[in-house]
Amino acid sequence: MTEEHSPLSLGFPSVMAELIRRCTYFFLYDGSKVKGEGDPTREGICYFYPEETPVDKQELLCGQLAGVGRCVSELSSSPVRFLRLRRSKYAIRMKDDFFWALGCSVEVPTTSVCELLDQLINLFCFYNGSVRQSYQLNSQETLAARWGQYLSHLQPGSSEFHRIFSCLRTIDSTNVDPLLLLKAALILQACQRCPLVLAGCILFRGRVVSTQMTPKLTMKVMVHESETYSKRRNGSGASGRSGAAVSSTTVFLTLSELQYLQSAPVDKDLSSHSTPRRDAPQKKTRLSRTLSEMASSESDSSDLGPSQSPQKVSFSPCLSESDYSVSSPAPSQSADPLNLPSLSPEPPFSNEQHSLETPDQSYYQSFYSSEGGDSQVHSKGDGSVFEENSLLNGCGKEFDLRGAESGLEESHDNEEVVGDRGVDGCGSAQGQKAEVQDPPPSSGASDDPEESPLIPMMLYLHRVKGLVLALLVDPPFLSDTASMEEVYHSSLASLNGLEAHLRTISPGALGAPGPYIFTHFDCIQSTLTTNLSGRPGGAPEHPFVRATSLLHSHFCNTKTLQEAIIRSAGAAVYGTRSVAQETYFQQHGGSLRNSGIPNHQDSAFSLPSKARHRLLKHGVNLL
Amino acid sequence: MTTKTSLLKVILLGDGGVGKSSLMNRYVTNKFDAHLFHTIGVEFLNRDLEVDGHQVTLQIWDTAGQERFRSLRTPFYRGSDCCLLTFSVDDNQSFLNLGNWKKEFIYYADVKEPEKFPFVILGNKVDVTERQVSTEEAQRWCQENGNYPYYETSAKDATNVAVAFEEAVRRVLAMEERTDHLIPTDTVKLHRKPRSAASCCS
Repeated sequence: MTEEHSPLSLGFPSVMAELIRRCTYFFLYDGSKVKGEGDPTREGICYFYPEETPVDKQELLCGQLAGVGRCVSELSSSPVRFLRLRRSKYAIRMKDDFFWALGCSVEVPTTSVCELLDQLINLFCFYNGSVRQSYQLNSQETLAARWGQYLSHLQPGSSEFHRIFSCLRTIDSTNVDPLLLLKAALILQACQRCPLVLAGCILFRGRVVSTQMTPKLTMKVMVHESETYSKRRNGSGASGRSGAAVSSTTVFLTLSELQYLQSAPVDKDLSSHSTPRRDAPQKKTRLSRTLSEMASSESDSSDLGPSQSPQKVSFSPCLSESDYSVSSPAPSQSADPLNLPSLSPEPPFSNEQHSLETPDQSYYQSFYSSEGGDSQVHSKGDGSVFEENSLLNGCGKEFDLRGAESGLEESHDNEEVVGDRGVDGCGSAQGQKAEVQDPPPSSGASDDPEESPLIPMMLYLHRVKGLVLALLVDPPFLSDTASMEEVYHSSLASLNGLEAHLRTISPGALGAPGPYIFTHFDCIQSTLTTNLSGRPGGAPEHPFVRATSLLHSHFCNTKTLQEAIIRSAGAAVYGTRSVAQETYFQQHGGSLRNSGIPNHQDSAFSLPSKARHRLLKHGVNLL
Repeated sequence: MTTKTSLLKVILLGDGGVGKSSLMNRYVTNKFDAHLFHTIGVEFLNRDLEVDGHQVTLQIWDTAGQERFRSLRTPFYRGSDCCLLTFSVDDNQSFLNLGNWKKEFIYYADVKEPEKFPFVILGNKVDVTERQVSTEEAQRWCQENGNYPYYETSAKDATNVAVAFEEAVRRVLAMEERTDHLIPTDTVKLHRKPRSAASCCS
């Protein structure tokens, strides 16, 4: 990590500042490799970041943290999720014999560190399947590169705010005609006319334009997108002048993620039992419905993030327990059952209490529960379920559907290749999937991600220059030539057009900084709006960022806390939150009248009403 | 000339619902979807073809016909090599609006010599039995407004679609050949003089 900011500007007394500002250490330690008295600790270190750290220092940190972690969790019979060591804090995850630690500056809110570690592990499992299996099938070097990739994806570029809130990077909707967001949403809906397409998202230059997936899933998908994008830019993947190409890769969903997607409005089989959703009859009435929606979209989408659109409803917490259990037998593919000897729930990992939350619940609550409890992490670490992961790992491949008249012929060839792969790799995935549907309805622990296996799915990417259509599809999709062509051809013109539109949008000169700064975090869509420095985020030394970070931590730790003002002699920052959002506001100018004792004339007390009025024009309604 | 592939941009303009997107889809993917949604803004597809020995990549820009999408579509008129003004033979109003579409195009595309710009007029939906615009009416309009070629098409049953697009290509190529002849007399060579070695910066 390079560090551009002068430590002095941060006000920290020493060079420690440089280290503790951001994530300093990350490691994965496999306790199963270090059982005996004489086993060297280094045997257990699967990955250590920064990689150039001397081995004995690695051993010191791993040995100490893993030892303390295990000791505390055995004494307290509850999982260690967090340790503090001198001036850095460590988010901890333990799963079977695996031990993860992510060290961050004390400045970063605890919840954010934990969230970051969860994201990291989730990302790994999303692209590689179970951790144990991955380490059995791949070299440590290969996997180290992947950890490094995921780590670098989560860290740089993301602003301080993005780190605090772990939010999605979205396109700046203030400069984008809402009709274009509608266009993006319609492209996604059109793709869902193919029943093998579960859900999708559209990204432009690494930012979300529209998504039908949960923010967490969207974030995972974005990693692959940005990787392929940078690869292409480096010239290795330049195929064709149009810059459009289709590729796919295997990904692994948790059972609850899959069920969430399958219970989405478009799913004809499941929509009947769901809570009323306006999207329910989508298949039949899609055209007229979206037409009528256009008016409202035109008028009020400015105050919504770009990822709302017609799919917004799908974020509502409508997935009850019953939804899960009813929908779990849904996948209709008949497939060869595979023998999956270890499908029965693994021995429960006694230290995991958070696993009782469903991922969706934790998604809603992650910022309010004191531990930031996202529990999906561990679930993905479960090792022994899939024998076939390795086969699937190699699946990623690019193929090309370009060119309509010649392409029709070409694509047959191409898809044959895909089809083959579908047979040996993904076909088996299908079998697994069919099998793993079994346990959930019967066991009450069906929502427990600890116990749920990872289900291989395919991520289909269609790139048009900086624009990417990413679809999560059932593996058979890639061997279904007709479906692939249908999806490809029905979206190509619109994607071309959308890309042309988005490309021509100027960054939009942001007006002079107003007399106030604010940041607004939409917890449901995981999006951020701010007017600080003209871009999402801001310099970490900015007092407003630090105040926001501190208030966010307080909100996370105190569930009942709804409003707070944090102040220094010269400035005051107001924070307010609800289940759906967190908003932070600071008014510039005007001297604070502050006598040091509580005073009703204190101008800090006018902040809440100022915030309410000022932020209305940004589409933030605090009333 | 025959080995060179040139990119030609043609743009479909006309009232909403006359079948612009369907024409494009029919020509490029040979498919017809009766339930297409309104085009929002612009979309485009490429198709390679050979016309009279010329290899061209035709880039067909499909636009939103509805008034409310005007600000989204007009920035994309520039750089068009040919404009396909489209109406529906079962909708008289769409025929009457052809003049407005022509004006809008000339204005936003910033066409230098409007009288020389290649327009092609398409009367779509000839598969429909209740016509409101007769062939003679349409041909008369084309005669009077610049002697534009007129094609009656049906995206639904593929009537005349390919012919119309190929005609568009021919018009563009013909235009280019005419200007090609003029080039030697008209152009100013912009080659820089070789810099003198004694320039101040060296």
